[in-house]
Amino acid sequence: MNEAAAEKIASRLAELWQTSRPTILERMTVLHAAAEALAANPLDQESRERGREAAHKLSGVLGIFGLPQGSEIASRLEDLLKSAEPLQPDDIRRVRSQIGELEAVIASK
Amino acid sequence: MIPVLGNSMARKILIIDDEEDIREVAALSLETVAGWDVLVAGSGAAGIAKARENHPDAILLDVMMPGMDGPTTFRELRAIPETSGIPVILLTAKVQAADQKRFSDLGVASVMFKPFDPLILARDIAEVLGWQEA
Repeated sequence: MNEAAAEKIASRLAELWQTSRPTILERMTVLHAAAEALAANPLDQESRERGREAAHKLSGVLGIFGLPQGSEIASRLEDLLKSAEPLQPDDIRRVRSQIGELEAVIASK
Repeated sequence: MIPVLGNSMARKILIIDDEEDIREVAALSLETVAGWDVLVAGSGAAGIAKARENHPDAILLDVMMPGMDGPTTFRELRAIPETSGIPVILLTAKVQAADQKRFSDLGVASVMFKPFDPLILARDIAEVLGWQEA
């Protein structure tokens, strides 16, 4: 990799992070809403699917911006929400806890 | 001179992804690192139209898109004579093994995963397509 190319990409990525951040935060809002809806009704498939989609998108994008840990947490959340099994109280706690971890990772950048 | 993949022919790549930030980073990466020409589309339908019009050398196709998803877009591309021979690489966030097999079974050239490293994306694409410039 030549240095000029690496620098150009790093610089543009920093700019793109600023423009992408609102979308990323919107996805976090979707995740929060899904967690609350599922806490109230673990059988709410629509909220579960919305949450899964948001987690999937976050897992694909965070690592590109230098947050590989965020991608891993989002991927675990996606797996949890994707499972065909009804969510148990422990699952809801894990969802909430992972959302909290994800928020901390995003806030750290 | 910035492009670093040697002896590149002027490859033309079409990126189809509904996420603007992913399109931008991938385009930046392929243009900057490999010097390839990049076309972008934000939906399966727009991507099919661009593929018919521009005959890219390869297509990087997102799996999860609203409306026409990646697998459906791929099947449409295969059904159109002008686009049926274009190699397609599916791009998806990490998926479970069963999904990965389902995508591979579609007949795509490869399945690549997000998040990708913008510094090596072009090399990975060249490698899976057997292009010599990497």
